[in-house]
Amino acid sequence: MKASIRNDPHFRPLVILAACIVLLSAVDWGQWRFLSAATPFSTLQTFANIGLVALGLGLTMMIREFDLSVVGMFGLAGCVAVMTGAAHPWFGIACAIAIGLAAGIIQGLIMVRFALGSVGVTLGGLLTFVGLAHVLTENRSVPYDNFRVALLVNEPFAGLLSVRSGVSLAIFAVVALTFGFTRLGRDIIAIGSDRRAAMIAGVNVDAFIVGIFAFSGVCAAATGALLSYSLASASPAGLSDVLVPAAAAAILGGVSLGGGSGRPLGIATGALVLAVLRSGLNAVEAPPFVNDIAMGAILLTVAIGDGPYLMRRLRQLAARERTDR
Amino acid sequence: MTGKGDTVRGTREMSMPLAPDWRLLPTAVRAVVIVALTVACVATPGFFSLPNILSLLTTVSFMGCVAVGMTLITISGNIMSFSLGATAGAAAMVFIVAVNIGGIGIGLIAALAVAALVSAAQGFAVGWVRANPIIVSIAAVALIYGTAEIFTRHSSIYFKPGTGIEILRGKLGGVPLEFVVLLCVTAAGQFILYLTRFGRNLYMMGSSFRAAEAAGVKTWRTVTGAYLWAGAFTGLAGVMLAIRYDGANMDYGVGYEYDAIAAVLVGGTLMKGGHGSALRTLAGAMIIAIVQAMLLLRGFRQEWQYLFTGLIVFAVILLHSSGERR
Repeated sequence: MKASIRNDPHFRPLVILAACIVLLSAVDWGQWRFLSAATPFSTLQTFANIGLVALGLGLTMMIREFDLSVVGMFGLAGCVAVMTGAAHPWFGIACAIAIGLAAGIIQGLIMVRFALGSVGVTLGGLLTFVGLAHVLTENRSVPYDNFRVALLVNEPFAGLLSVRSGVSLAIFAVVALTFGFTRLGRDIIAIGSDRRAAMIAGVNVDAFIVGIFAFSGVCAAATGALLSYSLASASPAGLSDVLVPAAAAAILGGVSLGGGSGRPLGIATGALVLAVLRSGLNAVEAPPFVNDIAMGAILLTVAIGDGPYLMRRLRQLAARERTDR
Repeated sequence: MTGKGDTVRGTREMSMPLAPDWRLLPTAVRAVVIVALTVACVATPGFFSLPNILSLLTTVSFMGCVAVGMTLITISGNIMSFSLGATAGAAAMVFIVAVNIGGIGIGLIAALAVAALVSAAQGFAVGWVRANPIIVSIAAVALIYGTAEIFTRHSSIYFKPGTGIEILRGKLGGVPLEFVVLLCVTAAGQFILYLTRFGRNLYMMGSSFRAAEAAGVKTWRTVTGAYLWAGAFTGLAGVMLAIRYDGANMDYGVGYEYDAIAAVLVGGTLMKGGHGSALRTLAGAMIIAIVQAMLLLRGFRQEWQYLFTGLIVFAVILLHSSGERR
């Protein structure tokens, strides 16, 4: 079979990234709002908001699971960090990450122990975490009074990076190296491709499930905590719109919904596409709904493009056209 | 025949010598829950007061209509749609705009049509190319909110005076009109599921997609139909929200998809599809609404409702595992 571009998951995100940049540059032609020195920094800031969540979610998708609870954990960790970290920011971060880790491990263990699907368990997790966040904050928005930290996490250094985006990129680098140069990456792909075969080949599938959901919880918690610090406030319902960009980033990055494909750098590229799109649309002063619609359209297009029956249906249509003629 | 049964039971006991008979667990839990709920209701002062009952019946109706629609999607094997909450909000807004232009009848048709079409389009994507239902509905959420913002710019809209919408805010035989609608929706859902060929195909597809396909079911039509009905029922919930709160914005629908899936699961419909009914979902919605009303009466603030709903869903999913492992 010909290896078309549609089927090469590692090539697709780069094409889309290039297309986004070209399109935004064309819209902005001659005005230097998108093609300015500020854009890379704001792009990386947006990247920091979604990148790690997409990485955690993407890893669960690679083993053919889906972690819905990232949305709840994102908000809950933000509230916990803001409430515990006013005096000692590190303590707040540690609390948030501990909660993310514990929640991920508990959910993973439930899936493994009771042979349950991840969508159901993490749906329960999602609702429970959202409820916990509401109870902890008493249904209010909680301010974060440590403005020094709030400014510090967004302080630019080296022209491009802030603490938040630096942390995200560093974690991506570590995960990408681990994934590429150790057995872990191959094992994850093996589990996603054929779980039974991976088990027979000696992969400890249960440990991977627990580990990956723990990692996903930590990623969502760390991102939520840092974002809440930088916004200097947290509210239980405030950060709920992370699922769309996170799922879109993972899928754009070549993670297939059927499991067994994708890699961390692909997810990073996918998140970068969305970040470029958002900060680019902001730069050219497009109204906010353009970003929503663009993201929804991209996600829908990729979902349909990944549909297992797409080629069959297109062939059926083509055949019908031939007989009609 | 008895011999066969014995061997099956024999292997079960050999593999799990200390395990109780899991098949009885759901029944036992159901009985305990009903008894406990009744006792708690009786023990909660003011629970059986008229205002409480009326407000309970009203609030359960919004969630219930969405949940009956969600039931069809869950039974078809497509887990859940995340876009039903947004669809309810959009239907509420379309209803008000259309009522202001052409009266209640036009409003109802427009709202139900928009909701049904938005949902059916997702069903078509899911059924025709077998796109992932979760991803498609998440994408639809972004598209619906984005499109709504073009028209509304984040503001609320209201009925203009003199549309006669007040008559729909009444009661029928002492029961809030919303609850009557919910009962009708449940009956319609139950009829679709149990007494039509479409309903039978839904169960077959949810149990085994390949078997349904091999049996000649046009699976994409069945999936699209399930989403279409889900959208129409959700549209009805949106219409009722607009009438009850005398206005609408997109925030009205937020969270209904989660309440709905909670009701579906608490009712005992399995997440993997192929099992369940609209009546079960009605029971699930009632249980959740009763628990929430009780929490309020006992002085828990609203935030505790969220936590309890989450914990209930967690418990129900764990409970289902005993049924699903068979």
